[in-house]
Amino acid sequence: MCRRGPLRDIDAPARLLPRVPANHNILRFSDVTVRYGDLTALRNVTLEVPCGSSTAVLGANGAGKSTLLRSIVGLRRLAGGEILIGDSHPQHARPRIAYVPQRHSVDWDFPITVRGVVEQGRYPSLGLLRRFGRPDVDRVDRAMEELGILDLAGRQIRRLSGGQQQRVFLARAVAQGGDIFLLDEPFAGLDIFAVEELARELGEWEAQGRTVLAAMHDLEIARRSFRRGILLATELIADGPIAEVLEAQNIQRAYHSGGGPSPGSAPQLAAEDLRK
Amino acid sequence: MSAHDFLIEPFHYEFMRRGLVSAMLLGMSGGLLGCVLVLRRLALMGDALSHSLLPGVAAAWLLFGTSTASLFIGGLIAGLLTALGSALLSRMTRIKEDAAFGSLFILFFAAGVALINKLPTQVSLSDFLFGNVLGVSAADVRLSLAVSGLTVASFAAFHRSVLLETFDPIFHRATGGCGGVVHMGFLALTVLNLVAAMQTMGIVLALGLFLLPAVSAYLWCDRFISMLLLSAAIAVAGSLAGILLSFHGGLTSGPAIVLCLGAVFIASALMSPRHGVIRVLRDNRGRSAGG
Repeated sequence: MCRRGPLRDIDAPARLLPRVPANHNILRFSDVTVRYGDLTALRNVTLEVPCGSSTAVLGANGAGKSTLLRSIVGLRRLAGGEILIGDSHPQHARPRIAYVPQRHSVDWDFPITVRGVVEQGRYPSLGLLRRFGRPDVDRVDRAMEELGILDLAGRQIRRLSGGQQQRVFLARAVAQGGDIFLLDEPFAGLDIFAVEELARELGEWEAQGRTVLAAMHDLEIARRSFRRGILLATELIADGPIAEVLEAQNIQRAYHSGGGPSPGSAPQLAAEDLRK
Repeated sequence: MSAHDFLIEPFHYEFMRRGLVSAMLLGMSGGLLGCVLVLRRLALMGDALSHSLLPGVAAAWLLFGTSTASLFIGGLIAGLLTALGSALLSRMTRIKEDAAFGSLFILFFAAGVALINKLPTQVSLSDFLFGNVLGVSAADVRLSLAVSGLTVASFAAFHRSVLLETFDPIFHRATGGCGGVVHMGFLALTVLNLVAAMQTMGIVLALGLFLLPAVSAYLWCDRFISMLLLSAAIAVAGSLAGILLSFHGGLTSGPAIVLCLGAVFIASALMSPRHGVIRVLRDNRGRSAGG
């Protein structure tokens, strides 16, 4: 079952009928294209992510994994196509989505404690004026407890292990109260024990009906710990159950298509332009 | 010299009272802004920005005379032109933002010095560059009050947005925050404070009032809010100490304040219990002795 986010559906305000499996696919990309200047990062991607699944977003460097996640939260404008979450456009479904950035993009020397980071999860729903109240404190406590970092609450974030640091940001995502989690390279830089623990944690999330999309480059972790996969090489190579996605011919196409980018991707197009 | 002679006597002079009030007010707001500059690694950009105010101020002086309002607007325009120009250059050409800023500010600064050479002779370049507490007018104090009040109020009202935009701008934008607006507002406040601090601190030294308290506080605090408060407190105390030093030591006010804040900074860098040099050296020795 999908847990509904706190926001009412703005696109269908007068809907009286109960929700039926029409909403079964929580996340839909139709013909999505994203460009950075001349460079195409995602081309004509059409896919559906079922509700309450854990999905590994895979592909070589520059294949569009992070771009896919960022386009869902509106950090990248679409050059074409449409993304729907349930029946809503992403900006209307924001309270349902929690985005967890890559670990190396964080300034770990920032003067902030574990609790300070997790509290940020409540800020979006508080807006400018409402004060940080008892319910928010409770939610923050529960999120830290769920991730097993409550006893680290007062620690500055540099003084944590890699796995603990990742958990702080997962706890912030949980404190947001959404049900869709977008994780950018959550396993990067973790030791094998931390990877195992995190994979187990995400498995439990899936069991609780949370929808997880995680960009990653390690196919083994994806195979072991994720139910579904999305394989990208600027274009969509495959999506579906992880075992099917990771079949040899797909991997061949995603990683070794002529030793370069997939046919028609930006560098090759540039080369064709030169030849003209 | 009695305590009265040392602490009270200087402020029998009106210009000393004005200088003190102005420096303390701008120390309070500059201490807050400095924290964001330090944490977002914009310290050098702030330095460049302050230098680039000079031609605007000089041109305003040349055209409209010495009124506080015209100097303020002139400086503001020059600062915004630099910020905007470098943003455009870095976006439209292959030049990176630091190089764009560096090139523009040095150009602006040179134009400012050239303009000041054209000013009536009683105006000294060094007053522009390093400040002169004797020149602080009642209008300057009112300007400091307005700018400082606006800055403190903005930080109080938008403290969550400020924290998110400083710590994790991607998260801020991903959750629907107006990151661009917060960032532009921050730059605008920085320019406002720099221009307002010009009379007491001078264009070259004004940033010291923002930066030194913030880096000092950064070495002591593990919470954002405590860093903000400590930084503002250090800036206010340093302004008082600096104004006293300038009176008794016969120094220009800008350098005197920066020297006092610099002493706090050096002491913090050495002695901070967790991040200071002494602690780090001792830890390293302990580690190599231990194995």
